[in-house]
Amino acid sequence: MSIIRTLKASALAGALIAAGAFAPGTAGTASAAQDISVCLWGTITGPDAILNGMSYGARDYFEYLNQFKGGIAGQKVRTLLLDGRYKLDEELKIYRRCVDQEQAVFVSGWSTGAVKALRDQIAQDRVPFMAQSHSSEVLDPVKLPYIFIPGPTYEQQMVIALRALKLQGGKTVAVMHPDNEYGRGPVNVVRQSGLIEKTGLKLVDTIEFPFDTQDLTAQMLRLKSRNPDMVYVQASTPQLLVILRDAAKVGLPAKLFVGNMYNISSAIPEQLGKGAEGFRTIQIYADFGADIPAMKDIDAFRGKNEIAKQDVYYMKGWFQGVVMAKAIENAIARNGGKVPDDLQTFRKAVRAEMTGLRSLDVGGIVPEANYDTHQGTTLARVAEIRDGKYVPVSNWIDAR
Amino acid sequence: MKRAQFIVGVAVAAAVLAVMPFLDRYVAYLVTIVAIGSIGALGLNLLTGLCGQISFAQAGLMGIGAYTAGNLCNAGLGLLAIPLGGLAAAVASVVIGLPALRLRGLYFAIATLAAQFILEYLFKILEPLTHGISGLLIRPPTVLGFAIQDDRANAGLAVALLFLVWSGIGVLRATNLGRSFLVVRENEIVARGMGIDVARTKFWAFLLSGFIAGIAGAISGIASRLANPEAFSFALSVDYVAMIIVGGQGTLTGPLLGAAFVTLLPEAIQRIGELFNIPSILSALREFAFGMLIILFLIFEPLGLMAVVRKLRLRLTASKPSGKSPSATTEAV
Repeated sequence: MSIIRTLKASALAGALIAAGAFAPGTAGTASAAQDISVCLWGTITGPDAILNGMSYGARDYFEYLNQFKGGIAGQKVRTLLLDGRYKLDEELKIYRRCVDQEQAVFVSGWSTGAVKALRDQIAQDRVPFMAQSHSSEVLDPVKLPYIFIPGPTYEQQMVIALRALKLQGGKTVAVMHPDNEYGRGPVNVVRQSGLIEKTGLKLVDTIEFPFDTQDLTAQMLRLKSRNPDMVYVQASTPQLLVILRDAAKVGLPAKLFVGNMYNISSAIPEQLGKGAEGFRTIQIYADFGADIPAMKDIDAFRGKNEIAKQDVYYMKGWFQGVVMAKAIENAIARNGGKVPDDLQTFRKAVRAEMTGLRSLDVGGIVPEANYDTHQGTTLARVAEIRDGKYVPVSNWIDAR
Repeated sequence: MKRAQFIVGVAVAAAVLAVMPFLDRYVAYLVTIVAIGSIGALGLNLLTGLCGQISFAQAGLMGIGAYTAGNLCNAGLGLLAIPLGGLAAAVASVVIGLPALRLRGLYFAIATLAAQFILEYLFKILEPLTHGISGLLIRPPTVLGFAIQDDRANAGLAVALLFLVWSGIGVLRATNLGRSFLVVRENEIVARGMGIDVARTKFWAFLLSGFIAGIAGAISGIASRLANPEAFSFALSVDYVAMIIVGGQGTLTGPLLGAAFVTLLPEAIQRIGELFNIPSILSALREFAFGMLIILFLIFEPLGLMAVVRKLRLRLTASKPSGKSPSATTEAV
């Protein structure tokens, strides 16, 4: 091949790469001026897809505003929901698309790992970011001024369960968690901070088990020998099903176990039947179908649209949509009812309005939202499975 | 490596680097992950495609590179962290390769699978080095006081390293060692008969392949600023095997095509879903489509995308009279 022909081929290859790989996609066209773009990613196909009502809820709230309220300040919101698949590189990729190509004024992301990896980037980009994670590692209003979380941290949820136990006269507690970050991290923080002892309780055992466990009978026998008043479980629903099943095998009642907010799942009573009766969990958000004002809006939306996941996680997503939209609305109102021309100014204003949200009425999904501490609410209550349904059995308890 | 091939490589790398400043961060990140995938796939291809040793420990080796480079970046070693990450992975690769002196084929593949799981476990428990399950946060490396933290800079670095690895392997293939790899792959008994030291040849294959995997892991950690066990799981090893199957085992450019295909396919499906307003449905079908494509490649084009490229090139050259035979322009397997 002659040099000339080689150079021609090289130029062609370079041009093809430039045209194909580097050209923005169809959805990646630059947004028009005064556009309100919100970009979300969840896990539509990942291992925790059981919870993806959270991302549908937020997306649907913005759709609700578009369909029933004419958008925000008379302008339609452009909402994009992407699938992060619970894969770090996928989530990092999506973040960049949201910030650069979609020019989102608010971004919402999924996994704790991704938010941790992105936290410096988010601070540099100065883009308001609503995390789905409740990890304390991404909550720092000073160092991470653009990251917001939707409720009590995992550690605070554990504290709420401990306080509920203390109120009932309990004295001893055991903790179970899988061997992943979500399981081990919060438990270690609570143990090392001495919060269990400060609550007036004694930790009698901590049991770590494999994330993909299928049998925990041995661990249940060990737990039985410790005889705790409560077992706090920092795990996901699939692991909780194994725990409750094997607990029943050795004669431990479901009532002994308390899970966190991600253990409100219809799969538990459906699969375990009576074996699930009495199991308690932390409830932050009102359940789907609860008698609260927000359900009227959701029902109106449901009348015209299909809601894929009708559960408590959808309510969490709807709540996030409400607070994000309110901050955007306030930022526009402060700018004389016009969307700021400059995206960076718009993002900065939305961040400022988020931190200014106080006692916000969110239709009863949570008692009220306050974002001065970047976490919306620190309240939760204990719910118990009775006749196959989760029923609140405590008042709202503040983790602070 | 032919001179023309090298010139094309230089031109493509130069073209990519030239447009880099004009890319948005999202596209720059895509370039980065394709380049990282290509480097990792070239490393695995050296071991599997050239030397015939099937390995499922690629993700684990990349993890070693990422954790080593991450710790060294955090200690302020700058870009030196990348080759040192490669070196650490090379040592681990040689250790993993020891069973290859006694085991072959499927048995050795199972041994590498075991190594992958052991490495994943070590990433979780060696907390002082890896920060356990929560992962190691990596500070951007600095060069002459400037931190490499921009996506475009990361992409430029990844493309430059990809070019070095690609051309390095191209040169290696033409050496006695490179030819020894091919003979060992085809038949170890014949290789011994030809006077090739099989153990030594395999040692070099593991060392070089591990080094390249470590380089890929190091850039991956630097680009994502986090190294955690979930990022270097068995599934990633499978992705790399898929890359070299789809691209074309044993070829020089096939792994690059395979990496681009495997990395960008989910993105393409996502975009098609958005175009037809069915992103959620197509999202759920992504894994299915990915699996189906691998099966289709195995059935209809086991030599991968490079074979498709070769056929196209043959058609083009056949339509134009040329002084050279078509086989002279094909890439040696």
